[in-house]
This record gives sequence, structure tokens and C-alpha cells, in this order.
Amino acid sequence: MIKNYFKIAWRNLMKHKVFSLINIIGLTIGLSASFVIGLMVYYDATFDDFHKDGDRIYRVVTDLISPEDTFSISGVTLALEDEIKDDSNFETVGSFYIERPSKVENRELGSQFKWPNFVIFTDANYFKIFNYTFLAGDETNILSHPNSVILTENRAADYFPNTVPSDIIGKTLVYNDSLNVTVTGIVENFKERTDFVFEEFIAKPLLLQTRLRENFLNLNWNNTNDASQLFVKVASNADVSAIQNRLDNLAAAHQDEDSKKYGDEQKFGLQPLSDIHFNEKYGIYDWTKGQANKSLLTNLALVAVFLLLLGCINFINLNTAQASQRAKEIGIRKTLGSSRKQLISQFMGETFLLVLISALLSVLLSKWLINVFSDFVPDGLNFELFKSPLIVVSAIVLLIIVTFLSGFYPALILSKFNTVSVLKNHLAVGDKKVKLRKFLTIFQFTIAQIFIIATLLVGKQINFLLTTDMGFKTDAIISVYSPRGEREVSKKELYAEKLRAIPEIKEISIGGTPPASISTNSTSLSYNNGEKEVNTDLQFIFGDINYSKVFELDILAGRSIRNDTVKELVINETCRKKLGFKSPEEAVGKIVLLGGENVPIVGVMADFFQRSLKSNIKPMAFRGDWNRPDWSQFQGLHLALQNESSEGLKTTLSKIENAYKSVYTEIDDYRVEFLDESIQNFYNRERKMSKLLNWATGLSILISCLGLLGLVIYTTNRRVKEIGVRKVLGASLFQINTILCKEFLILVAIAFVIAAPIAWYGINNWLQDFAYKTSIGFWVFLVSGLAMIFFALIVISVKTLQAANANPVDSLRSE
Amino acid sequence: MKNTLLSLNEATRTVNSGSNKVTLLDNINLNVEVGEFISLMGPSGSGKSTLLNCIGMLDHFTDGGYTFLGEPVHSMKEKNRSKLYKEYIGFVFQAYHLIDELTVYENIETPLLYKSVKSSERKAMVADMLDRFNIVGKKDLFPIQLSGGQQQLVGIARALIGKPKLILADEPTGNLNSKQSEEIMELFAQLNKEGVTIIQATHSESNAAYGSRIINLLDGKIV
Repeated sequence: MIKNYFKIAWRNLMKHKVFSLINIIGLTIGLSASFVIGLMVYYDATFDDFHKDGDRIYRVVTDLISPEDTFSISGVTLALEDEIKDDSNFETVGSFYIERPSKVENRELGSQFKWPNFVIFTDANYFKIFNYTFLAGDETNILSHPNSVILTENRAADYFPNTVPSDIIGKTLVYNDSLNVTVTGIVENFKERTDFVFEEFIAKPLLLQTRLRENFLNLNWNNTNDASQLFVKVASNADVSAIQNRLDNLAAAHQDEDSKKYGDEQKFGLQPLSDIHFNEKYGIYDWTKGQANKSLLTNLALVAVFLLLLGCINFINLNTAQASQRAKEIGIRKTLGSSRKQLISQFMGETFLLVLISALLSVLLSKWLINVFSDFVPDGLNFELFKSPLIVVSAIVLLIIVTFLSGFYPALILSKFNTVSVLKNHLAVGDKKVKLRKFLTIFQFTIAQIFIIATLLVGKQINFLLTTDMGFKTDAIISVYSPRGEREVSKKELYAEKLRAIPEIKEISIGGTPPASISTNSTSLSYNNGEKEVNTDLQFIFGDINYSKVFELDILAGRSIRNDTVKELVINETCRKKLGFKSPEEAVGKIVLLGGENVPIVGVMADFFQRSLKSNIKPMAFRGDWNRPDWSQFQGLHLALQNESSEGLKTTLSKIENAYKSVYTEIDDYRVEFLDESIQNFYNRERKMSKLLNWATGLSILISCLGLLGLVIYTTNRRVKEIGVRKVLGASLFQINTILCKEFLILVAIAFVIAAPIAWYGINNWLQDFAYKTSIGFWVFLVSGLAMIFFALIVISVKTLQAANANPVDSLRSE
Repeated sequence: MKNTLLSLNEATRTVNSGSNKVTLLDNINLNVEVGEFISLMGPSGSGKSTLLNCIGMLDHFTDGGYTFLGEPVHSMKEKNRSKLYKEYIGFVFQAYHLIDELTVYENIETPLLYKSVKSSERKAMVADMLDRFNIVGKKDLFPIQLSGGQQQLVGIARALIGKPKLILADEPTGNLNSKQSEEIMELFAQLNKEGVTIIQATHSESNAAYGSRIINLLDGKIV
């Protein structure tokens, strides 16, 4: 029976090739999108799901809440661990500190490794929370000796190439030139997907012999750092709200006087292990790897659902439209004893066959799509995931759902036919369902239309973001950063000296980050104008006297700073207004209180955008590097090039790099950034979204138009006789085409009317993320509406023109 | 004593056409014995096809009683009715009504599928039928590749495969030439001799003559 069904299904597919193709294309697109996105969701959702009792493991994180802002830090103050480690709600409390040693040596081999990554200082508790498999070494006294280290298999292979794990135990590594540390264990790297990428675990007491000694001796409740990580495994009967209370009380108890005065608060939170991969607020340990973004995944899933729906709608539309062609077979089957149930299962079988073909195509396509969407797809995701049982089962469930969604309604319609009238050819089936098909077509085009409008508007906004004047020079500026961890300025000055010899460079400045960057450095500032005190958060940019020249900052009143280390401020307009000065001139010469010191305002600069256009302009000041020599805020050099075009850029760049290498002979940490690129990177997410929208738009137009084509073919074929008669009566090609097109264009027009407000609402919502936004222009709607009608017209005309051109004799003779 | 296959008692069929009530069959009383060969005659629109469809349970009487093999069809549920006709009734149509997408073999096999006959048994039965009608060589052809007479042979073979007690034939030779139609009628006569009850609707006097009883219909009434 089943075999018989599939045979018929296959023959029907082959008989109506065009319709089958339309159906398969539509479903394939929808299914491919679903497969790839499903894989992504699966990939991201299965990070760190293998840890024993993972649901009881939490990371303790910190939120610093000030009246203006909240800063989220994935670490906690070093002081917290001791306070909570005896709490019976916790089964284990384990902390670690992330610190890159400057150098690791294997003196036996004479090899050395600079700035190794993913090194943590920890103790046995870490290994109680996260179970590592020991390949060698003592599992019972983990890191009990103060000068010991555990390596992962991978790291051990770097330090001790071609040595079996058990032979590595007891060997010595030398850290930072002087610390002799014995290897006491080799563990397996986690085989499953994980964000815990650490490779080297050093016994905690060694921290006291690093630059961090002071921090550990004088535990400070107001010093919080991402590097200081604290994990807890709560007891199985633990009361999580009690723990939260305890943390809140601790934070409140250690709030200092200044914080109370300014309304600053510190709040500790428990971040579930499963949240770490998704929560960008707190981040993960390997910044080069992407984190999962829930809203992106949701958007992607929505796109997949819509594409799949469009495919299903095509199926429903075409099959109900074609129903009369199947009617005879249905009637005969009924007289031969088929029950309605059997007919329904036959049609469902046919649908399933079609869906199955699409699914097979989709699996092949997915392989290619994973490459196309590499921007969205996490690096580690590959085709192999398709083999995991959960994915296979979900795919099958999805196929069944799609089969029901697209097949059930047509099957109901088809199986309902009255046998007698079908066999007597009295049937006018399909006509009753015209309304439904029209409704579904409108639905399809509404979705396509929304995508078109959204694409245009998002594109417009991105264009606006990228072309809006930032308020300072962004073209032909290169930033070269000094090696990480360099604390003094002398080498930067030496480097600047060498760069001055390169004629292609116009200006050179030593400084902190460029005026617009993703990092901020701020302090609170107060000013007493004699009547009342004004407090504000003040962000800083740091630079030497050339900084304002390189970036062409616009000084409105007063002057720039006189030298690199003088205590002077150049505030921006926003700060000037906040402090209550009526004009730039009025602000110059006033003294403000900054971190307990009196500092004069020597100039006022025009406002510029300090971050992306998503955020408002905040009070900011330009200042020198006056904490020297204890601490320097200068991180690198900013170079303005003579030539604004990219001509000769390559040679200039290599000159700059060569100069760097002649100064920094020992360290290989050359980092160069182009300012205009960094600014573009502010909008990575928007650009990704735009790419996604382009695809969604293209595909939804394609599917909808294919569906429309199917309907047009069907309707036109039914009207062949009418067309013939009209032609005999003297209608022109154009007149006939108009009659045929009108019916469909009305649907497209209705879809536009429905889509426009929905798209407007959605885009308006999206734009709320931006402090500065483009206008939602009327012309965008007009253009997108016309575009849709244009596409539809092309598709319709393909068939109608052919029909209108046909010789009426042929169509009329057959009757 | 002959067995009664079916009996109609004041059976009536009306339809609503707009606001008018049209009577297609008007108080039909009819007894059909097992082994009869009945020819229904009458002009177009006299109700022959409607009567056949109603007897065949594709359609239903709106009033009156219908008993088939002692079971009251008029008060039966759809499911039981379908079981009944699947078991005992075969149809032959003027337009053959073969399924275009299926081969001769598959067309003949289909009723068995709906009766859930086992695969091996099915093969044997279809092979017998092909043999009997001398169409073994055509079993893999599609209906469109056959002549009208051949198609109708397949149609009859398909009606017979379920071993029905009653064959309902609605103008079985209406689309055939005289030679072909003679062959088909001979076949019916032969089947009737083997014990199958046949009711045919026909316009042709000569075809009607094959029957053991002729019933004339006019405007839905037996005359």
C-alpha cells in the first residue's frame, strides 16, 4: 500500500514538473535555513553542558551600579572568597586568577615561550568544580605544593614536545625568568564544546611572587577585576535566594563612604554556568571566539520560520489550485473502496515524499550555506554535527511538522470531493478555495514586502552611521599599539623619533585610545561655582600635545594642553554645559575637583562622538599623562598620513612596521589599527543584520514569486478559452495582459498596505537602539512597494504574455 | 426459492436546485435476486445513473428503504456502508475511469489494496485476472496507451478482482464501437452465467437484450 502511494506520488511529481519544482525550491530554501540555524542553536546551546552537576555551578559576577550607568564585570573582588567559603550553601568555592606570564622557559631544552595564553592561578577547588581527566600526576593532592603547575595535554606538547605525560611529571619550568615551578599533573583538554579554554594551572601561592603581590596582601573591596574569577558549586539543597541575600548584605556592608555619597553600588550575582556562553555582558575567556547572541539567534530562527512558512504556503496554494486535476483519481479510488482516511494518508505520503526530497537537497545545501553565512556561524560549527542524534531526531520531527503544515489542508480538501459529481465531471473544485489562496498569497507578499522595507531602512541607517561626521578626523589615521604590558613611555618616544623620518607621515602623537573607541576611562568630577556643587562622570582621552592635531580636534576656546604631563583639562561642550558654563570662554580658567585634586580647565573642544552613534555624547575631557612615572595611560602612537588615498599605503605600512621592529626587537606583539575600520567595527552587528536581511529578502521574494508564478500558470491555463474568445473579438495583447495581471497585482497591493505599517513599527523599534538615527523616509516605502510590484509583474507577465500570444484557433478548437 | 440480493422499498432521491425541489427518483420499488442480469433503460435524465449510484452506495436515497443482503443500508453508518460495498459491489463506467498514473497491473490491483489483501495473494489474483482477460502482455502499459475496448476490459477486470456479488455497469459500451461493445456484452453474459449479478444502464436495445429482465425508467419512475 505504502509502496503504491509512493509510486503514485513519484509519478505525480514527474507529471507536474514545474509545480513540483516550485514546491521543492520553496521547501528546500525553508528547510536549509532551518537546518543551518538549528545547527547553530544546537552548537551554542551545548556549550559546557557536560560538566557534572553543571546546573549547580555558578560564576559570581559583579555589577557596579552608579546613578548614570551600570558596569558589568565577570570577576569579583579578591576579598569575597574568604567571606563566603565557609557558607554551608556552597559545596565548593573555587577561584582562579587569569594572568599571562611574560615568559615560560624549558631550560632543559632551551626553549622559551612569550606571553602564553590561558594561564590561570588556582587551587584544588577548581578541579573539584570542573572535572578534568588526569593523564598523569597525583590526583589526590592537586596543586598542594606552592611551586607546582598542571598542564593540559596540548600545552604540555608545546613545552615538552614528544614526551609521554608520565615523563613530564617532576620536570621544571621557569616562569618570568626566576620562578622555578614543577609540573605535577597533565590533564586532558575538554573534548566537548567549552568556554573553559585554560591550558595551564599554576598553584595560587605563586601569585605572591608576581606584580600582583600587593593586591593579594591588601584585599580591597573596591577593587574588582575581570581576571579575578570566582566559581561556586551550590549544595544540592541550597537556597539560592538566601545566597543572593548574603551576597547583597556583604556588598552593602563593604560599601565605602565615597560610594555612598555618589550613590554608587556594588552588586554580586550568581551567573549560571549555562548562561556564560550567551551573556555578552560578562563575556567569555577566549575573546577571539564568538559568543552566542540570543537576540541574533532568535532573529535567525524567525527568518527560518518565515521562509519555511512561505514554502508551505506555496505547497498549499498550488495543491488546492491543482485539486481538480486530481479529482478524477480521487473519485475512482473512492469507488474502489478507499476510505477518506486512506486518501488523506495517501496525500500526506506524497507531501512527505516531496518534503523528503527537499530535505535531502537541504542537507547538501547546508554544507554550502555554512560557508556563505560564516559571519553568523560560529567557527567550530561544522557539518559533522548533523550526525548527532538530537539533530537527527529534531530534523525528522521538523520534516513531519512541515509535512503536516503543508499537506494536511490540501489532503482534507482533496479527500472531501463527492464521488458522483467528480466522476460526472460536474466539479468546480478549487473555485471555492480561491479566497483562501488569495489570503495566503497576500500573507506571502506581506512577509516579502516587510523584508524589503526593512532591508532598505536598515541599509539607510547603516549608511547614515558610517557616513556621519564623527566630529574629528577619521580618514588616513593609523594607530600602532605598544606591546601589552609596557608601562613606560621612553620606547614609544624612541619609536616616534624613528617614525618622524618617514616622509609619508604628517603628524605623530603618543596617546591612549583614539577619541572614539570601545574602551572608556572615567572618573567623577565636581565643580563648585560658589552657589552649588555639580557632580558628573567624566570620560577621558589621553594624549600628548600633538593629539589634537592628529585627530583635528576643534578647540572652541582657550588652548590645548601645554605639555604631556601637566595637570590641565580640555573639556568638551557637553561637559561645559553640564557644569553650567554659559559659553566656552566662560569655562576657560575655572578649577574643577578631580579625584581630590584641583585641576584647571584650559580649553573647550567641540563635541564629537566618543563611541558608536548608538550612545549619546557624554561629558569628556582631553588630558595629558600626568600619573607618570607610576602609571602611564599612553598605549601607542597615532599617525596621520600625508596621503589620504590608499596609494603607496603598502610601502608606508611596511616602513612603519620596520621602524617598530627596530625599536621592539625582543617582543613580537605588533598591533596596528586603521581608525576608519575600527569605527566600522562599532557596527559589526548592524552590518551582519543587514547581510541577513538581504538574504531573507532575496529568498522570500524568490519563494513568493515562484508561488505566484504557479498560481498564474494555473489560472491562466483555466482561462485559455476566455483569452481565445476575447482575442477573436479583437482584444489587443496589452488589454489581455492587463486583465490577467490585474487580479494578482491587487493581491500584491493589498500586501503592501498590510506590510507598510508593520515594517514601520518594527524599524522604528529597532532604531530606538541608536541615539542618532536616520529618518524613516516616505520614499523608502514607495520604492519598496514599486519594487515588489515590479517583481510580481515580471513573474506574472512571463506566463500571461505567452497565453495572450497563443493562437486562439488552438485553444478554441479543442472544445 | 431464489435469494434476494437487494430490495428497494419506495426509494426516493430528491435534490434541491435553487429553491426548487427536484425529484430524481420517485418511489422506486425493486427486488433483485441473486444471479439476475438487469438492464435499466430510459432516455437521458430518466434517473438510470442516479439509481445505479444509489444502489452502489456512492450516493444515497433521501427517502424509503434499501436492504442489501438483508442489511438495512438506509440506516447504516458511513463506515459500515463502505465496508459493505467494498466487499460485494464492483463498478464499471462508461468512461472507464482508470487511474491514469497507474499501469494496467496496478489499476487492477488497487481494490485489493483497499481490502488489505496480502501481497502474495494479490499477485496471484491479479495474474489470474490478466490471464483470463488475455491482457498479460499489456500489464505494464498505462491506460493512455490502450484502445477504448482494452481500457474497458481493464475496467471490468478491476471490478471483478474483488469477487463482487453485484456488478453495476453504467453504459459500459457507450464509448465503444459495435464490435468492441459486442465483446464486452458477451463477457457480461458469461460472468452472469458464472453467478455474478449484474445491473447495467444502457440506451441500446441490443445490449439490453442480454439481460434477463429489462426495467424502463422515465422521469424517475419505473414504467
